[in-house]
Amino acid sequence: MTAHSECSKCEELLQPYVDRSLTEAERLTVQTHLAACSRCTRCYKLEEVLWKHVRNCCDEQAGIEFASGDLKDRLADLRTPLI
Amino acid sequence: MLVSEMVSDASSEEIRQLASDARDRTRFEEDALELSDQVYRVARRLAGSREAAEDLVQETYVRAFRNWSSFEPGTNLRAWLLRILTNLNIDKGRKTQRTPGMQPLEEGDYFLYGKLEDQTESDEEKLVERLSQDSIVEALAAVPHNFRDVVVLVDISEFSYADTAQILDIPIGTVMSRLHRGRRILKQELANRTVIA
Repeated sequence: MTAHSECSKCEELLQPYVDRSLTEAERLTVQTHLAACSRCTRCYKLEEVLWKHVRNCCDEQAGIEFASGDLKDRLADLRTPLI
Repeated sequence: MLVSEMVSDASSEEIRQLASDARDRTRFEEDALELSDQVYRVARRLAGSREAAEDLVQETYVRAFRNWSSFEPGTNLRAWLLRILTNLNIDKGRKTQRTPGMQPLEEGDYFLYGKLEDQTESDEEKLVERLSQDSIVEALAAVPHNFRDVVVLVDISEFSYADTAQILDIPIGTVMSRLHRGRRILKQELANRTVIA
């Protein structure tokens, strides 16, 4: 395989690699290539940290991670009255 | 009328049934309300604003309490509630969003990283932190809902593939393929918002 097609293959396997859902053979292919290719190594590291950053940003944006007291009151009001 | 006469009107079997239903419903409502923080968190990530998220949660509970009897006790109540929530959110999306059929997707997983790359910054965490919270929220909103729902549940809310499949009522294989595609679309949207310094 040429270096370029190895990188393409590596790019294709990025997500399942990070998700740890590759077969043993595929994982070895990726690791062998990563040992030799700094660009792919860099992209794999970026993928690992990207999702953590996305999650943190979404959590921050969500602000307080709990339903407000007002919302909880409104939900409780929806309950079926006990006669 | 005396209670004893009422009892003689309806069979004792019916009364037992009514009492048992009322008990089950009370229990169901209490269990559902216990989960409101968890339901809210998912809603907040799917909806654009706090108000929209609160409306979505409220509508979810209205529908849940109305259809309580179709919940099978002993099964996953959280998944049941979140399924109502994601369905309502999809309905809303249909009404308000001019959902583009499907944008062409040409770039692979490395595209964003190519744009972010800066040889002077060796720390990967610092490099991705250049993506602002606003750009992430906007990019996520730009992902078509069926892909976004999976990304929000798996990558942001950290549900398992199995839970996500149950919530969205789709096979696990579909969860995986939408996740793969959804992440790529999100990264492409982020890349589109990345200004090269």
